[in-house]
Amino acid sequence: MSTLRARWLHWLLGIVLGGVFLYASFSKLLDPRPLVTIIWGYRILPAGPINLMAIYMPWMELLIGLGLLTGLGRRSAALWAVLLLVMFELALGVNAIRGVNVACGCFSSSAEDVHNAWVLVLRDLPMLLAALVMLVFPPRSSADPAAAA
Amino acid sequence: MRRLLRDASIYLAAVLVLGTSANLIPRRHLAWWGKGHEPPQAGVDFTLVDPASADAERASLPHTLFLDTRSPAEFAAGHVAGAVALSYTDLDSQWTPAFDARLRRADTIVIYGSSEETDVEQLAAQELHRRGLPPPQVLAGGVAAWQQAGLPLEGATP
Repeated sequence: MSTLRARWLHWLLGIVLGGVFLYASFSKLLDPRPLVTIIWGYRILPAGPINLMAIYMPWMELLIGLGLLTGLGRRSAALWAVLLLVMFELALGVNAIRGVNVACGCFSSSAEDVHNAWVLVLRDLPMLLAALVMLVFPPRSSADPAAAA
Repeated sequence: MRRLLRDASIYLAAVLVLGTSANLIPRRHLAWWGKGHEPPQAGVDFTLVDPASADAERASLPHTLFLDTRSPAEFAAGHVAGAVALSYTDLDSQWTPAFDARLRRADTIVIYGSSEETDVEQLAAQELHRRGLPPPQVLAGGVAAWQQAGLPLEGATP
């Protein structure tokens, strides 16, 4: 359990997961319009809020990536990462159960980047676990006697 | 816990400010509330056309207009003869009266990109259709398929 609170682990997870979020945000930030098509393809949200999601979600991904990478507000970045990843898992899971393979919009804004939904569900799980570690097991502070021991 | 919630609120506020500001930029603007941005539909907003048919149309219809959605560098490296570069993300500034007239003069419009992924071309076709043009055609497979079919590109080094 003490390993989960190790500073090096949080830096490592932050760099890897932060890099993933930064990479995921770029194409959507440049032009969010194809993302509307992708979110539509999930067939979960009604037309109205789809655009709001396409407008704001890439910026959340960018800030999560920066927060995890730099360590600035890393725990709150991890909290938002957990919320986003749980949302992705639910959306992908619903479509996997429906038997619909969707364009996930994970790392590209191409509506034709279609994958098996179950594969996508499994692919997001390690990221969710990494974010949960950073959220639930904050690293020991240097003043912590247990850390000094 | 209080600090976590405070920082999380700061993240949310920053996202709202950045997202709102970025969405005011005309060339990447989205309507705030989704309407009219349904996915492009084949048969409604566009039709897919294979390279051989597109080439045949070019030969038989004098005003067949090809629109190239690839990057300027890709366009410069070789494009379908007579094609016009089209930037989907900068369509508004490109949409001059002369451009509009040229589109409306065309017997048919064929939009192509680089490869099998034609989602940008489909979105561009949908936009043209919204602006009152007949549903354009989207070249299935893009330039890659065009070349595989043995059809020439203008400006390409052999």
